[in-house]
Amino acid sequence: MIFRAVEDADLISSARRGDVEAYNLLISRWEKRVYNYLLRLVGNREDALDLSQDVFLKAYQNLRKLEEPGRFAPWLFRIAHNEAYSMFRKRRPEAETEAEPEATEAEISFGGSGVFPIELSLAVATALDRLGADQREAVVLKIYQGFKFEEMAEILDCPVSTVKSRLYTALDVLKNELAPIKTRGVS
Amino acid sequence: MSCSPFDLRDYLLDELSQPNRRQVENHINTCSGCREELGRLQTTQAALRSVADEEIPQRIAFVSDKVFAPSPWRRAAQAFWNSSARLGFVSAAMLSCALVVTALYRPAPAPAGPAPVSQVEKARMEKLEAEFDSRVQAAVAKAVAESEVRQTGKTAQLIQALEKRNEMDRRGLLVAFTENLDVARKQRNLYMHAVNELSAGREGDQQ
Repeated sequence: MIFRAVEDADLISSARRGDVEAYNLLISRWEKRVYNYLLRLVGNREDALDLSQDVFLKAYQNLRKLEEPGRFAPWLFRIAHNEAYSMFRKRRPEAETEAEPEATEAEISFGGSGVFPIELSLAVATALDRLGADQREAVVLKIYQGFKFEEMAEILDCPVSTVKSRLYTALDVLKNELAPIKTRGVS
Repeated sequence: MSCSPFDLRDYLLDELSQPNRRQVENHINTCSGCREELGRLQTTQAALRSVADEEIPQRIAFVSDKVFAPSPWRRAAQAFWNSSARLGFVSAAMLSCALVVTALYRPAPAPAGPAPVSQVEKARMEKLEAEFDSRVQAAVAKAVAESEVRQTGKTAQLIQALEKRNEMDRRGLLVAFTENLDVARKQRNLYMHAVNELSAGREGDQQ
């Protein structure tokens, strides 16, 4: 991870000097993670892909504003978070500020169904669907993207205590939903 | 409710320092309730992670355009550096450097007047020069002679080839002339024969 951070920093400095190829290489390293993060947020592949492109475009345009190249990942996911919520607001202007994603995890048929038992995939989707949008995003950032609490706070623009609160609540819900199924040994 | 010294969820989510993790692990070894709770959390995490990431359906890549282009100054610099003018610039720069270095390090001009040279040295140099000249002249004369011999041989070969060709042309013409002459003689004989027959026919009619 350290080597990768160093290499990302090199690519960022090259991209800042106008090297588009360096930025393309940076994209290739992060596009899958950003896409899956957005997919789990918005629940629609087309929207996730469009948003991913917008995220990388916006990131390039604002690359000079990135003060610490070593913190590229949370900075990039912060842009992704903003883009997703900006889309929610545009589509549902009458909704409250903390808009729920239009689609839910239950609507997504993940590619893992061929490898893992379909029942477990559905159970995960259903369990995630029981969470609020904030809690679900906290789970996605922690469990699927592996960010630290401080990084999550930076992405979500909220205190670490709020991040922990959302995540702990989500974990309690998910544990009650999933632990019994998994323990039964879905097969 | 967990009685672990630190939150089991922080342990699960890898948010504890190494010493704190060890404390939790020591506690779990002795507390069955916390061990079971951690087991449930780990099972939950494993279930969540069993849903794999998808591949992105379309790769994202940018091409150079106005949005991504560098500043005009940098563009001009890059355009210059990638152009053929770079070679000229580098050449000019190297030449300038060479001139400067030469100007700085060129040795001072020699003092006016020839340097004193001993008579023996002078005689030796003259002898060497004479010997060198004679050798050069001999080599040149030898080369010229060889060249002349070669040229003479080539000329003779050319003349011989031309004569041979002329002879063949002459013979060819002679054969053609002889054949034409034969044809003319045969035509004349035929003509004479026809005239004689015609004359003999007229004499018969008169008789």
